[in-house]
Amino acid sequence: MKKKLLSVVLAAAMMSTLLTGCGNDTSDNTSNGSSSAAPANEQQSSESAGGQETTEPVTLKWAIWDQETTRYWGDLKKAYEDSHPGVTIEMVDLGSTDYMTVLATELSGSGSDFDVVTIKDVPGYATLVQKNAILALDDYIAADGVDLSQYAGATDQVTVDGNLYELPFRNDFWVLYYNKDLFDAKGVAYPTNDMTFDEYDALAREMTDTTFGSQVYGAHYHTWRSAVQLFGVLDGKHTILDGNYDFFKPYYEMVLNQEADGVCRKYTDLKTEGLHYSAAFSGGDVAMMNMGSWFIATMISNLQSGEYDSSLCGNWGIVKYPHAEGVEPGSTLGTITGLAVTTASDTPDASWDFVKWVSGEEGAAVMASSGNFPAVMTDEVVDMIAGLDGFPTDEASKEALTVSNLYLEVPYAPNVSEINSVLDSYHGSIMTGEMSIDDGIAAMNKAVADIQAQ
Amino acid sequence: MRKLSRQTKRDLVAYSFIAPNFIGFCVFTLIPIIFAFALAFMKWDGSNPIQWAGLSNFTRLWKDTFFIAAFKNTIIYCIGTVPLTMIASLALAIVLNQKVIGRGVFRTLSFFPYVASLVAITAVWKMLFHPSKGPVNNILLNVFNVPQDRLPQWFTGSLVLFSMILFSVWKYMGYYMVIYLAGLQGISSELYEAASLDGANTWQKFRYVTWPQLSSTTFFVVVMLTINCFKVYDIAIMLAGGGSGELTTSATVLVYYIYQKAFIDWDLGYSSSVAMVLFLMVLFVTIIQFRGQAKREKA
Repeated sequence: MKKKLLSVVLAAAMMSTLLTGCGNDTSDNTSNGSSSAAPANEQQSSESAGGQETTEPVTLKWAIWDQETTRYWGDLKKAYEDSHPGVTIEMVDLGSTDYMTVLATELSGSGSDFDVVTIKDVPGYATLVQKNAILALDDYIAADGVDLSQYAGATDQVTVDGNLYELPFRNDFWVLYYNKDLFDAKGVAYPTNDMTFDEYDALAREMTDTTFGSQVYGAHYHTWRSAVQLFGVLDGKHTILDGNYDFFKPYYEMVLNQEADGVCRKYTDLKTEGLHYSAAFSGGDVAMMNMGSWFIATMISNLQSGEYDSSLCGNWGIVKYPHAEGVEPGSTLGTITGLAVTTASDTPDASWDFVKWVSGEEGAAVMASSGNFPAVMTDEVVDMIAGLDGFPTDEASKEALTVSNLYLEVPYAPNVSEINSVLDSYHGSIMTGEMSIDDGIAAMNKAVADIQAQ
Repeated sequence: MRKLSRQTKRDLVAYSFIAPNFIGFCVFTLIPIIFAFALAFMKWDGSNPIQWAGLSNFTRLWKDTFFIAAFKNTIIYCIGTVPLTMIASLALAIVLNQKVIGRGVFRTLSFFPYVASLVAITAVWKMLFHPSKGPVNNILLNVFNVPQDRLPQWFTGSLVLFSMILFSVWKYMGYYMVIYLAGLQGISSELYEAASLDGANTWQKFRYVTWPQLSSTTFFVVVMLTINCFKVYDIAIMLAGGGSGELTTSATVLVYYIYQKAFIDWDLGYSSSVAMVLFLMVLFVTIIQFRGQAKREKA
């Protein structure tokens, strides 16, 4: 009997290796690793602060994603190295799909040797701040006199207890893309930079054609929750950290009614197919699509390379996001991509200099030269992007590039990662029809209240 | 120095043979497991100092909508998958153990889903069961006249678990069929002859010869199936995850939730307590199965 029991326990132990093996192989030694790294840093920075900067060659290791397909990483590296002899930037590509997860794992170990890391999203930023993996930059910002007002309020939304741990270098905001050929064919006037949601809804319905074979979708919403839910935060009164999400309701109703009437593709179809928004828009049967400004560079380069058929989507334009009644036009959602210095870096001063350069005006010029939106938006940058070969030539498209209010898709909060998961999950439940809009929103309210009560 | 006894020497030699594997097991498996057990009572984000949390991780569990959903889904998935896969694979094995023409071909065909890449075949399933363009729903629409708005949404809502079970049975029955085939071929033909002489019909032969003779095979199959079901993750992600890979409450499973809590929210303590629940579930089921098997062997 005893033997039996023993064998049961052993068998169970073996099973649990299968099951829980993933639980904790990250690091037994991280706690002492990072705590011992911190004093070493302080020493280093006090030493180098006293001496001259970068007299000997420095190599900075920089975490990025998708080096092959994204041009600006290489451009930034080259431009910085050219203007700063003695500094070598070594890029490490962690891939885009689970970049922040991989990065957080990398920075949990004591063996990490990254100096500068790119921050892809705010939940990931929150994780790194809580892990003490990245440095507060306030002293550097004060010492070098960096003017935070040039970031149009974005940095305020990622300030943690009065400290800022990243500087944005790229700033994407959401606009409305539309296919001019479809509007021309129907003889409907183009969307404008000043549309309310009701006008937008009516326009989408007007453009819709459900005839089989010549189908046109008036609108298209990607499966991200940002594409639907976050219409609600544009009035400036609500944020996703509120804990009460009743303000999502009119927008869910608008989109689900459009779906029911064939105005946009069904969420469940998109989920099952995994249809990418770029494929949807470039297919030439979508009249309007709300998407981030990152898609501008994709449109330009893929139309030039011939990957997108220019007879289907070559004649495109952008306008500002629609707005709620009584709110000034030009309010939109944004996402910032930032740079941070790791606490484990041996050369925090040199790393800071790189961060400052990339997120400043020099970096901005490099970013804009390839059609990407830098965090520092000056008139020259707008002109540069609007003047790119392949950018829509109408005035409205150029005007759409100026943003009056930028609300981050996800502002900082300590538990933002968990709130994010809750909103994502119930967004799926509402859009698939598993839950009614009211039930889904009630479930969001309850789950977020539980998180905030912890 | 005292000479070691012959027995001790023999033991030492034996231990030295086990050592390489056992040391690896300790470092990479045993210690992490023990650590995971301890972590279930701690609060840790992987970087900051570990804090004692007592039982608070466990009290949190029962108020957590996502945990409850994952727990329920995992159990429903197991209850659906284990018996169905067992019955399907046993039936296949019995049929393909007969001398039918093209037996080899059919055996290969039923083994094929197991060999094929999960990612590729989920893509095929998603095409077949596509809510508006898939052939399955088109047949329902055009042949069985199911109205458009009542066509089943195979990968969302209450049907998603059903799809997962169906998929899993189809994918894994070939593998367990092979195990059953081996078991069937191990049964002595004399037993069937004796049963025939006693006038047993086909059902009686199965009931009194095949089934008891296969009991140890069945035991193995059930244990393996249960373990594999409890650790389901890939099927859920591939069938229900969609583009972003997020699972809604109707499709989330325990292993996914463990991953999410540990490596997305970096709540390693809480994640370990979920893992502990999973461990206890598997332990509980396995003990019952061992008990049942022991009883059967005695009988």
